Amino acid sequence: MQEWSALREARVTNDECKMTDTKNHTPSAPDTLEGRKFTPATEQERAEAIEFAFDYRGDVTLGLTSGESIVGFLFNRHASGEPPTIEFFPQDDPSPRTIAYASIVSIAFTGEDTANGKSYEAWASKKESERRVEAARVEEDARMRGLL
Amino acid sequence: MAVPVSQMYTVASYVLSKKLKGIKRYPLVLMLEPLFRCNLACAGCGKIQYPDHILDKRLTPEQCWAAAEECGAPIVAVPGGEPLIHPEIGRIVEGLVAQKRYLYVCTNAILLERKLKEFKPSQYLTFSVHMDGLKNEHDLAVCRDGVYEVAVKAIKEALRLGHRVTTNTTLFDDANPDRVRQFFDEMMALGVEGMMISPGYSYQKAPDKQHFLKKAKTQELFSKILSRPKGSWKFNQSPLFLDFLMGKKEYQCTPWGNPTYNVFGWQKPCYLLQEGYAKTFRELLETTEWQNYGTSKNEKCAECMVHCGYEPSAVSDTFGTVSGFARTAKLTLLPTSR
Repeated sequence: MQEWSALREARVTNDECKMTDTKNHTPSAPDTLEGRKFTPATEQERAEAIEFAFDYRGDVTLGLTSGESIVGFLFNRHASGEPPTIEFFPQDDPSPRTIAYASIVSIAFTGEDTANGKSYEAWASKKESERRVEAARVEEDARMRGLL
Repeated sequence: MAVPVSQMYTVASYVLSKKLKGIKRYPLVLMLEPLFRCNLACAGCGKIQYPDHILDKRLTPEQCWAAAEECGAPIVAVPGGEPLIHPEIGRIVEGLVAQKRYLYVCTNAILLERKLKEFKPSQYLTFSVHMDGLKNEHDLAVCRDGVYEVAVKAIKEALRLGHRVTTNTTLFDDANPDRVRQFFDEMMALGVEGMMISPGYSYQKAPDKQHFLKKAKTQELFSKILSRPKGSWKFNQSPLFLDFLMGKKEYQCTPWGNPTYNVFGWQKPCYLLQEGYAKTFRELLETTEWQNYGTSKNEKCAECMVHCGYEPSAVSDTFGTVSGFARTAKLTLLPTSR
C-alpha cells in the first residue's frame, strides 16, 4: 500500500496542476505519475486509479482480466454507470473503446506526462538560453509536420 | 459599433425567444475544437498537452456541422489547437456559414495569410486573431520571436481581402495597463473590427481570502485598462462583461452558455474544466450537475472571470433586466461614457 499512498500524494500535487489555456494556471509539479504502475486491490482503489488516469495527460497501459494489455488515452469515465465504464482511445485504433471498470486489473502510466513541467512558471524560471532551445525544438517539430 | 447590426439582431432575437419560452439553460456560443494540434506551444497552454495520437485526431466537417445544428447556438467559435492546421477547415467554415452561424475562427495567424484563399469573405465569418499584447509581450507569451509581426501582416491581408477581423487577448495580472492601452491603439490602427479581452483562468487550491484578493487584483487591472476608454477603441463583446471585469457588476457563471465540443465529445461542464464528456448536447445539459459550478460553488471556479462563463451572464442581463438593457444601450452608443 506504500505505492498507493504515493499515488494519492501525487494526486494532490496534480490537482494543483490541472491546466487550461492560460499561463498562470499551473504551478510546476515535480511529481508525476509517469512510470508508475498500480494494481488496485479493491473496487474503491480501482475507481480512484481510474480517476487518476482520467486526469493524466499521457497514455496509460491497461491490463485487463482477459489477459489483454492495451495502450492508449483514457478520456472519459462513467463511475456511476451500470456497469461503470471508461472510454479509451487505443494508440493504434481510431475508434474509442468502452471498457468496464470490472475488466481492469492494472493501470500503468506508461506514456509521457505531456503536461508535466509545461507551466508558465516553469517556463519563466528557465534560463533564457533554455527557453530558446525549447522554443526552437517546438518550432522544428511544427516545421517537420508541415504546420508552419 | 464593433458588432454588426445583423449579428446583434440575431443574438438579441435568439436570447429573447429563449427567455419568452422560459428556457433557463440555452447555449450562446458553441466552442468547437476541431483538433488539439497547434503550431505554437505557448507557455502554460493546457489545451494541447496530449499524446501524439490524440493530437492527430480531427473532427470531420460533418461532425462539426452536426454539433452546431445539435447545439443551436447562433455563434460558433472555432479554437483548438490551431484550427487552420485542419486540412478541411475551409469546408468546415463553408458549412457553418451556410447554416448562418456567426463564426469566429480563433487563430494565431501563423498560417492565415497562406490559407486565406480557402475562405470567402462573409458577414458570418470573422478571423479572431490571438494577440496577447504589443510585440514583446506577445512574442514572450507565445514563446516564439517574430509571431507578432507575422500576425500583423496576416491581419492586414485579411482586411485587404474584405474579411472581418477581430483580436482576442488574454491578460494576466502581470500586464502593464499603459502597455495594454497602447496595444489597443495599435490594433485599432490596423483597422480590425473590434477587440476581445479576457483575464486568464487561474485555478489553484487556495484559501478563499486569496481567491478574493486575486479577483480583486483582476478587477483593479481591468479598471486601470478600461477607465477613460478612447473613442477609437471597439470591443467585440458585451459592454456589461467589461463592467464585470472592472468590478462594476457581479455575475454568477453561466457554464452552459459556451458549451465545448471536441474529439472527446461534449465537455463537462465548460470550456475550461474537464470533468467528463457527454455523447450528445442534450446529455450534457441534462446530466451535468450545474449546481456544483460557478462563483462560490466550487473552488475551481472561485477566481474565474473568464469570458466563456461570464459573457453569457452579461448578455442575459442585457435582455433580462431594464437596467441591464439601458446600460448596454448607453455603453454601445456612448462607449467613452464608461
